[in-house]
Amino acid sequence: MPSEPWILIIPAFNEAKNLARVLTTVTSTGLDFESVVIDDGSLDDTGAVAARSGATVIRHPFNLGYGAALQTGYKYALDRHASLLVQMDADGQHDPREIPELIAPVLRQELDLVVGSRFIEPTDYRMGLARRIGRELFSGLARLNGLKVSDPTSGFQAMNRTTLRLYGRDFFPTDYPDVDVLLTAHRHGLRVGEHSVRMSPGVRSSRLHSGSRAVYYVYKMLLSTWTASTSRRRRKENGL
Amino acid sequence: MSQAERLNELRELMWSAPESDSARAVALIFSFALVVAVLWLVRRQRLREEYTPIWIGTAAAMALVSVHPDILRTLARLMSAWTLSSTVFFLGLVFLVAICLNYAVRLSRANLQIKNLAQEVALIGARLDRMSRLEGKVEY
Repeated sequence: MPSEPWILIIPAFNEAKNLARVLTTVTSTGLDFESVVIDDGSLDDTGAVAARSGATVIRHPFNLGYGAALQTGYKYALDRHASLLVQMDADGQHDPREIPELIAPVLRQELDLVVGSRFIEPTDYRMGLARRIGRELFSGLARLNGLKVSDPTSGFQAMNRTTLRLYGRDFFPTDYPDVDVLLTAHRHGLRVGEHSVRMSPGVRSSRLHSGSRAVYYVYKMLLSTWTASTSRRRRKENGL
Repeated sequence: MSQAERLNELRELMWSAPESDSARAVALIFSFALVVAVLWLVRRQRLREEYTPIWIGTAAAMALVSVHPDILRTLARLMSAWTLSSTVFFLGLVFLVAICLNYAVRLSRANLQIKNLAQEVALIGARLDRMSRLEGKVEY
């Protein structure tokens, strides 16, 4: 492992069923990553399954939310002086075999943050009408702010240390870190881009963006996107 | 006399109506009870001192208004309210909204602190696990 390690974080809440398979796939890729599972107060054996699979486990004392679990991973990576971080979901919708291509623009220092997008190239991934409208809406809002992003809800991302330093801050949401955080990164002068990936339908998105939560999600995202787009523009040369 | 003039006259009449002594007494007793309750909660360590000024201030304002109702009358005139009681209710509502907003802000800050603290605990736990593993003390 390099002196500045590469870290793969997987936030997990009650994912004992899927996690072993996901971690096995990660191992089979032979990538030189330290796999870190953030057990977000699971009530099942998520932590134990992750530990048995050889991953580093960080256990939240209670459920803090998907965003908070991601941020714990970022803070861990900062603590370990990681130079590169990849995040993926624990439900198996992201394919670890895509990681080499996802991280390539970061390694070439072309981008600070790469988002794995389902919608750059035609794939067999199908989305419901409501979520399609939501995606268009938030992509449109991002475009209005100069950020071109086709898949703002993707949890499959790669980033460098500069992005980690920004994402370790208090603005980072505890629930849904989507287009608002991408926009914040963009407004801080980070180079945000996308890379085409294939995904299988997972359960996180449907769980987070369904029922009455969907209404709250749209409301919250509009508010946080507005906050992000009206916040003072800063450059990364100024130390973020 | 025009309708507007008659309404103004009626409003003046309502503003100048004398307050009932019982209402003033109830307000005084309530403000005194509020002070006692606040002090009791502080003494039992169920309310922190930093949260008391707003409630002591509220009790003092209620007591002041019940002793000097002209203050309330002046406020009612300034707000063009019809009655003193509606002025009290309006100001009470404004106060409640303001205090709810204030507590929502405090709650948000407390949530952030709890989140950061829980993350710190989790990270320290992971660090300890790692150190133990390096020393070969923990086997999963």
